[in-house]
Amino acid sequence: MSVITEEEAFKKPMPSPDGDSMALWEGLKEGKLLLQNCKDCGDVQYYRQEMCCNCLSDNVESFEATGRGAIHSYSVVHRAPGPAFKADVPYAVLLVELEEGPRMISSLVGSDPNEIDMDMKVELVTEKIDDDISLPRFKLVE
Amino acid sequence: MANKKSIRGQAAVIGIGTSPLGRVPGYSPLWLAADATRKALADSGIDKMQIDGVMSGHSFASPFHRFNVALSEYIGIQPTFSNTYQVSGATAATLFNIAAAAIANGLAETILISMGDSLLSGLTPDMALRSMTESRDQQYEMPFGIPVSNTFAMTAARHMKNYGTTSEQLAEVAVIHREHALMTPGAQMTKPLTVDDVLSSKMVSTPYHKYDCSLVSDGGVAFIVTSPERAKELAIDKPIYILGGGECYTHEHIFKKDDITTTGGKRSSELAYNMAGITADDIDTAGVYDCFTGTVLMMLEDLGFCPKGESGPFVQDRQITHGGKIPINTHGGLLSHCHPGIPGSLLHFHEVITQLRGQAGDRQVKGAELGLVHSLGAGFATNATTIFGTESTL
Repeated sequence: MSVITEEEAFKKPMPSPDGDSMALWEGLKEGKLLLQNCKDCGDVQYYRQEMCCNCLSDNVESFEATGRGAIHSYSVVHRAPGPAFKADVPYAVLLVELEEGPRMISSLVGSDPNEIDMDMKVELVTEKIDDDISLPRFKLVE
Repeated sequence: MANKKSIRGQAAVIGIGTSPLGRVPGYSPLWLAADATRKALADSGIDKMQIDGVMSGHSFASPFHRFNVALSEYIGIQPTFSNTYQVSGATAATLFNIAAAAIANGLAETILISMGDSLLSGLTPDMALRSMTESRDQQYEMPFGIPVSNTFAMTAARHMKNYGTTSEQLAEVAVIHREHALMTPGAQMTKPLTVDDVLSSKMVSTPYHKYDCSLVSDGGVAFIVTSPERAKELAIDKPIYILGGGECYTHEHIFKKDDITTTGGKRSSELAYNMAGITADDIDTAGVYDCFTGTVLMMLEDLGFCPKGESGPFVQDRQITHGGKIPINTHGGLLSHCHPGIPGSLLHFHEVITQLRGQAGDRQVKGAELGLVHSLGAGFATNATTIFGTESTL
């Protein structure tokens, strides 16, 4: 198992889009969260892959999620996973259940992390990191 | 999917050993594994040249990608069956299951299972944490600052919501593990712990406080496994037989798991129980992977020791220690004894085998004949179970 260098540890990990995920990250740059719908079996997936994970069909198409969902679970991080996140604590990592069914990992913006609870409604906010990457985050619905 | 074939009674553990455990500065992961190996060899009474199989796992603080091959060279043997296996925390149980299958089917006769790592002395704490976090998805998880504890923490949080499990019940798991460590020579933690101590310790990732989390340690652990026939030829005093094994891999990403309060451990243990021809009620003592306190609660349910949702009261009622329904982690576990990363779960095996041999001294579970060890990892993505028994259970 490789161990990262001290220098790398201070940089926040950022996604490197690949053949499966490129469209997700392109969509987020435009403020859209893209899901996939299988035209053969109807399965809806968030983890983006160039085939349906249920029936293995190629016949999957993208559609834009409403961006609305609820907190299925969460954990407020007080001990950062390495130096890169130390300035951010405390922050809430969310397991969001999207209105369309799939869940995703994200983090909370715009509220005190200590004030959230299970099953609260949230909505998508995209945060531009640089010209290549915008991250999908969520805020509480007023 | 019933499998007619079985590893029941096809292999036996004939030697066990550990390196110094806890804080062991100045020694490499290979030395730790090799030191445990020579102690396991001495325990079994066999010579190293009788080993024809070597099975190992990854070591964070070692530069060797093929730890099994590097270890074989380090101890001067040339095995004809060998690999470094990687299913995170579940690796330990898979090694015993695969060793039994390999021995039963002629790939090897006598297998060394050995691992070592120095997470405490070989890496800075930040590097240790970050290198473990690196195993999360680089696109879908890591950009959000998800610590290794976080996936486990979110499952515990949902368990609390669904079943009314409390922070005090989580803390009781840590308290009982500490009591066990205080009975175990060489345990890393040596001072008593109270529920209040746990609840007032620093928050790491809600609902987990510092003392809800396992230790960071150095250490090596090794075992010698062979066929029952060979164990008999060697006149081994108390061979401990592998009676059943099972594994289950439910997801890579926690967001793809439908029910996050039930794990693949339910399936892996069902397979192991069926193969062994027993049920959870028959188990005398168990090693239950305890990376966090909430992990133990969920596994008590999934392994069948108590009904779903009832693990909180079960632990508060002290059913997991001596005199209770199922004494688990009688050495103190990853929470209070030693947690050198991937090798940590091998210490659960070391303890259960010690118990079944009747060699656990003051902490002996009286009359222990059947034992179970459950290893898991990667936010419950990987689960593996092994069941052991004494000769009388064959």
